[in-house]
Parts: sequence; structure tokens; C-alpha cells
Amino acid sequence: MKVALVSLLLLIVILPVLGFSATGDETLKGRLQTFVSYSLSLMSLLLCVLTIIISVYTVTSDIEQRQIYTVITKPIRRYQFVLGKLLGVIILDVMLLALFSAVIYTITIYTPSFTNASEAELIQAENEFFTARAALNVPEEDVTEEVLARYEELERRNELPPDETREDIIAELTKRKQLAKRAAEVGRALIWEFDNVKPLAETMFIRFKYDIFPNPPDSQVYSLWLAGDDQYIKYGEQPDTPVYEQSHKHAARTFHEVEFPSDVVPEDGKLAIAFVNIPPNEAPVIFPLDGFEVLYKADSFGANFVRSVFSILLRLIFLACLGLMASTFLSFPVAVLFCLVFFFTATFSGFVTESFGYLSENVGAVYSYTLERVIQLLPQFDKFNPGKFLVPARLLSWSELAKAAVLPPWWGFDGDMVFVKAGLLLLLGLLIFRFREIARITA
Amino acid sequence: MEYAIETFSLTKIFSDWWGRAKVYAVDDLNLQVRSNEVFGFLGPNGSGKTTTLKMLLGLLHPTKGRALILGGDGSDPKINARVGFLPEESYLYRYLNARETLDFYGRLFGLPPKLRKMRIEALLDMVGLKAVANRAVGTFSKGMARRIGLAQALINDPDLLILDEPTTGLDPIGTRQIKDLIIKLAKRGKTILLCSHLLADVEDVCDRIAILYGGRIQSQGQVRDLLQQTNKRQITTDAISDATVAKIEQLVRDENAECVVTSPMDKLETFFIRTVTAAQKKAQPTSGAVSTTKIGDFLTQPPAVENILDKLVAAPISPDLSDRGPLTEDVAADTVSKSRPDEQLLSKLAGSSEPGQPGIAGFQEKVETEAVQTPTPESEQVNKDILQRLTGGPADQNEDGQETDNSQAGSSGDA
Repeated sequence: MKVALVSLLLLIVILPVLGFSATGDETLKGRLQTFVSYSLSLMSLLLCVLTIIISVYTVTSDIEQRQIYTVITKPIRRYQFVLGKLLGVIILDVMLLALFSAVIYTITIYTPSFTNASEAELIQAENEFFTARAALNVPEEDVTEEVLARYEELERRNELPPDETREDIIAELTKRKQLAKRAAEVGRALIWEFDNVKPLAETMFIRFKYDIFPNPPDSQVYSLWLAGDDQYIKYGEQPDTPVYEQSHKHAARTFHEVEFPSDVVPEDGKLAIAFVNIPPNEAPVIFPLDGFEVLYKADSFGANFVRSVFSILLRLIFLACLGLMASTFLSFPVAVLFCLVFFFTATFSGFVTESFGYLSENVGAVYSYTLERVIQLLPQFDKFNPGKFLVPARLLSWSELAKAAVLPPWWGFDGDMVFVKAGLLLLLGLLIFRFREIARITA
Repeated sequence: MEYAIETFSLTKIFSDWWGRAKVYAVDDLNLQVRSNEVFGFLGPNGSGKTTTLKMLLGLLHPTKGRALILGGDGSDPKINARVGFLPEESYLYRYLNARETLDFYGRLFGLPPKLRKMRIEALLDMVGLKAVANRAVGTFSKGMARRIGLAQALINDPDLLILDEPTTGLDPIGTRQIKDLIIKLAKRGKTILLCSHLLADVEDVCDRIAILYGGRIQSQGQVRDLLQQTNKRQITTDAISDATVAKIEQLVRDENAECVVTSPMDKLETFFIRTVTAAQKKAQPTSGAVSTTKIGDFLTQPPAVENILDKLVAAPISPDLSDRGPLTEDVAADTVSKSRPDEQLLSKLAGSSEPGQPGIAGFQEKVETEAVQTPTPESEQVNKDILQRLTGGPADQNEDGQETDNSQAGSSGDA
């Protein structure tokens, strides 16, 4: 298989080159993020294509070159033949994946020592990249009542826009209310409250992004960040635990982090975090959606990296099953084409389904009952993209992996059932193969 | 009677993409192959032989009718475990070497490692590929690939051996060897379905044949019944004097019969084998297959002992009686008059019109030379000499030579 050799060579050459050429935003952290994100995507893409080609080739070539005549007439069942091929492809995948992820991991780990990064950059990389952090759940504030009250008020005053439905107005109001909840005028504070927080690591991080209107000339936002007992933050009652209080200056519209010690977390676990919009700011500061998180170190970078690699293995296994299924009834080129279409649709499924939303209503209805349903049957590779976790040093837990593997996307699980879908494909393939006339010459 | 292979109005119609019937590849075929017989399945190209085999083995589904092999379905692993199959070409995994190839097939049968290793070595020896056992089979010539194909068909010591054109691409020695192997296996109670359009091969080894044309059986029966010319007799002698010939002619004329006297031609096969063996004896190097005269021990042991032996014996046992040499020798002795004239022998031969040897219906030579000579010490001596010339083998093969004669050639393996 020349294809295998070519892909492997490509990887061998490109990975180290990437390691030296990726610079990101010129900081060490940016450099690491760029390298990990690009190299993992590249490896994943090449191995996915390789898996498709090999899994299809292994069966179709056996049939076309007829080695299968002497194999299938030995005391093995047809399903054993297909499962054996699957096992072979998976073992190969595991080996290649282990090899290349080891290369990527090594390059990543040693990048800091090859760059003359400042001490601050090293610390930043250590805190914000070489770690695996989980986020505290930011409770969504319920604005329904306020929205309904506002709606009724507008209705009373006869100020409702005449040509809009009630649903549209409610949605618009909700959006505005939620935005208001994330905005702070100058001199005002925003407070987030968390329950049942355990001091899980020595330090915790607030990760945030500001929007500010109008934009100050230097794009800088001045702030006072507080973290500690909720009673103190809200009512000024003197707490038993220390309180973090520090003013900062950050650029708007990019993510920043503020580190605070976790001994500010009170015994009852009720942690409050406050942002105060302070002068010289002259405009309200808004936190965009997903613009605020509280992170803590939950695991090491290495362990997180391994799990990310597992998530790639997950999709390789799916593709192996897909390739074998296709090869039980299609010839090599057709089966490869079939699988590639399948693969790219799965890779961009989020984008594809989203784009249905922009279709006009009539066409959209047709699509949402046909194509969209089909696409939902595909796995959504973009949902569990490894770069999505490693770049922001976000924890990809085993349970998250299991969710992607077996749990359904409904009933609030938000899983992907990759294994279940792969199993179904494989089953279909076995069924087709069971009844296939192996020696049939198709013109 | 239990049939090894039985088909009931087996029909295969190949249809085009629209489902319209295009070709009747096999048409209402009723075939019965008895256990323990060598059955020749003949027919010109495209007569449906291979299609029938594929249906027997479950590689194709019959359009109509049913096929049973060893009393069961061709896709049942229990049945497959007792069947050896050599397809019309050896389709092998190119990057495996000969030994790995056989190991792979051995594993498919779930043979234990020790037994597998023993059989692989015996088979490599037998098909003459031991010297190239570590070469990728993709680099093999067609004949060498054929030999490996045959070896893989035998690795499970099958009860039923299905051979599709086994001798295509093989050199004459290999061909001869396969034929002898078939006879030996038949003696051990195996059933062999031999599919071919090379008539000479079939004629040499088959008990019964069926001739297929257009997917239908045109003729079927015992080879001997189909081919024997009952209105003629043939006598073969050593190089006797003209005077004796005249006497015989006189005797024949007395019976009012025609008599033709010629020196028989050497068969080209015999000549070829002799030449190559002589070259081998001189140990000329070759990168191809080495023609051996061995047959895997496990294939020639009596069935009862086989299992125990398989388990006990790690390495191939002492060179077994099963020598190919003797057989080819017989042919030579039959047709080439090399021994000195012996009137006594002649009279003896003329007197004893003993019918064919028991159990070796397959031998072409024998079928032709209906009245056969009982070997005498003299002819045996000659046999031995030629044998030694042919089999470049060492002393151990002498034993074989000594006990070999026309009637025993096939049975020596059981000794």
C-alpha cells in the first residue's frame, strides 16, 4: 500500500516542521496551541483517510484478487472474516496513532526548552496550556419571569411592534434581558454565584473575554476582580476565609485569565465572583456568551492528551467499520468515494445542519425532514474535536469520552453514540456479506 | 450409499443487470461422487466446471437446486474443515512467504502449533519449495504458486479434495507428482474431485468421469468402461529377438487376427523426467522449484494411526516409502525395452494373461496394456537401476525401488 507509505512520510516530515514553524500569537502559549491544534488535526485527517482506504482495500482486494476463495472456504464463518479484517485495521490504527501522538507529544513537551521564552511566558504556558482544567458550571439566570413581565408591560402600554408574533417578541426580549445580565455599567458590578464548590486545586482561574461599547482608544478595559465568600461579596459580611481582590487591565475582545488561590472558597462551598467596571472605563463592559468561566486544574496535560488521542481512535474505529461495510457490496473506488463523502459530512455536520437554518422556510422544511435526519445519523466529529479540548487546556474526561462513544444526543446526554453507530454499520455490513455471492463476477 | 458430493438439479443462471437471464452456466446438474473415488470432472473451457465447484463450496448461490458435500452445506465450517480446495489459479497473499502462507492456512484450520509446523515442513518438502520457503510468494512463477496452492489444500489432511485444474502451469514432474499424490490419497480413503480439461491427467488417475458441456452432463461412467477397446489386445515385451517375434506372429495368425510389431516410443513425460532428474543429480543450481519425489508423511499414513503420529512426531519421520520415483519407473519399464531378451520370460508373459492389478484403475499405462506382465526378478533389477538414476536420492530410496513394481507402486505408501 503506497498510500500508507505516503501518508506516513507526510506525517513524519510535516510534524517537526510544524513544530518549528508554528508561532501562533508569538507567545509560547500561542505557539504550543497552534502546534497541537494543527498537528493533531493533520494526523487525524491523514489517519482517517488512511483508515478508510485500508479498510476498504483489505476486503475489496481480497475479493478482486480472489484470495478470499481459499480463505472463506476454510472453516471460518463470514463474520469472522470481516471481524478479523476490522481487528487488523484497528491494530494498525492503534500502532500508527501511538507512534505519531508520541512524536507530537514529545515535540510539544520540549518546545518550551527550545524557545527563549520569558519567565512569564513559561508560567503562562504552565498554567494555561500544560494542564487539563475543568470549568465550574455557570448557572444560567432564569429571565423568563422578567421577560413576561416586560412583555405584559409593553402590551399594557400598547408599545408592542405590530407586525411581529408573540414568540418573536419574547425571544427578542429574552435575548436583550440576557445581554443585560452580562453587562456592567461603569461603577457597577456583575456577580456570579456558585454552589458546592470544592477547592479542587491550589489555584483557580477566571477565564473571560470583554466586549466594550464604544471602544476606548487603546482597547484596554480596567477592572476589579473579587472572589470569595458569597455573603461578603454580596452583603459585605466579614468572612472566615480570605478574599481575592485585585484590579487589572486587559485588552478587549480576546480571552484572558486571572488566577486566584482556591483557599478563598468558603467551607459551605458557596463561592461568588464579582467583576467591577471601574474608571477610567467610560463605557459599559459586556461579557459575550461563553465569555466567562471559572476553571480549576483537574488533571495533567499528559493524561488529557492521551484521552484526546483516544477520541481520535474513536473516529478511526468508526471509519474502519464504515469502510468494511462499504466494501461488502461496493468495489474499491466506489466504496472509497462513499466513505469520503460520509466522512466529510460527519466532519462538518455542525456546519451543514446549521446551514439548513438559513434556507427559506419551504425548502428548509423539506430538508429538515430528510437530509437533516440522515445527517443526524452520522457521528458529529466536530463535536468532539481533540483540538477543542487541548488548545484551551480544557479537561476531556473519561466520562466525556464515554458520552461521545455510547450515549445518545437526546435526553440531555448530548452524546454522539459513535460506537453504536459504528456497530450498526458493521452489523449491516456483516448481513450483506453473509448473503453475498463471493465469486460473482460483476461486469 | 453415502455420496461425498451430491447435487440435485443444480442450476446456475447468470443474469444481466436488469435481471434477464443471460447464461445458463450450469443447467440441471445431477452429480454423484461416491466416497473414496477419484472423480474426473471434464469439459471444455466455459462448460460450467468451475461454476459448479463454486456452488459446491458456497462461493456462489445456486439459482435452483441444491448441492451437498460430505452430506452438508459447503459454507458450513464443520464441512469446510474436512475439505481441501485448490482454485483454478493459486490466489495467494503476495507479501507472505511460502512458509507464512501455509502457516496462515494452517491457523485458519485451528491446527495446534506443533502439528502445524510439522505439516508445513512436510508439505514444503513434498512440493519442492523448501529451498525458497522464505521468498515472498508474489515472486513465484505460476508453477511454484501452483505448488503452494496444492500444499495449502492439503494442510488439513482433507477427506474431500477439490482440485480445479491442478496441473496447469506445472512442469511434467510436478504433474506426475500430483497424479501420484491423488492416487495415494484415494488409497487412504479420500475422495477427490478433479476438474480439468487436460485429458491425459484425468485418464491417468480417475475412477469415474463426467463430461460437461453447456452446463449439462453429456457422458458419465467408469474410465475403464468408457475407454477400453474390448476388441483388441496389446502385449508389451522386453527387446526379444526377431525369431521370437516371428513365432508370435505365427501364433496370432493362427487365430486369424492382425498383429503389428513395433518398438514403442518413450513417452515424452518419461523422457523429460529422466533428463531433469539427471540434472538434479548433478546438483545443478536452480532458483525454481525443486522436483522432489516425496509426499507428506501425514498424507500417507494410515488414517487410524495418523492422529497419534501427528501428535507424537515433531519432525518428519524417516523417509517414507512413498516415493514417486517408482511409479515413473514403471512407465519406463513398460515402454522402454532395456533388459536383455529373455525367451523364458516372454513365454511366461504370453502364458499368463493376468488381468489388471487390483485397485489401480487409474493408471493410464495399465489401462492401455490390458494384459500385464508379472514382473520377474530380472525386470525388477532393471527397475531398480533406472530408479536410482531417476531419483537422485541417496541410499534410502533403494528400499523403495526394491519393493516397487507395477502392481505395487501405488501401495508402497501403506507399507
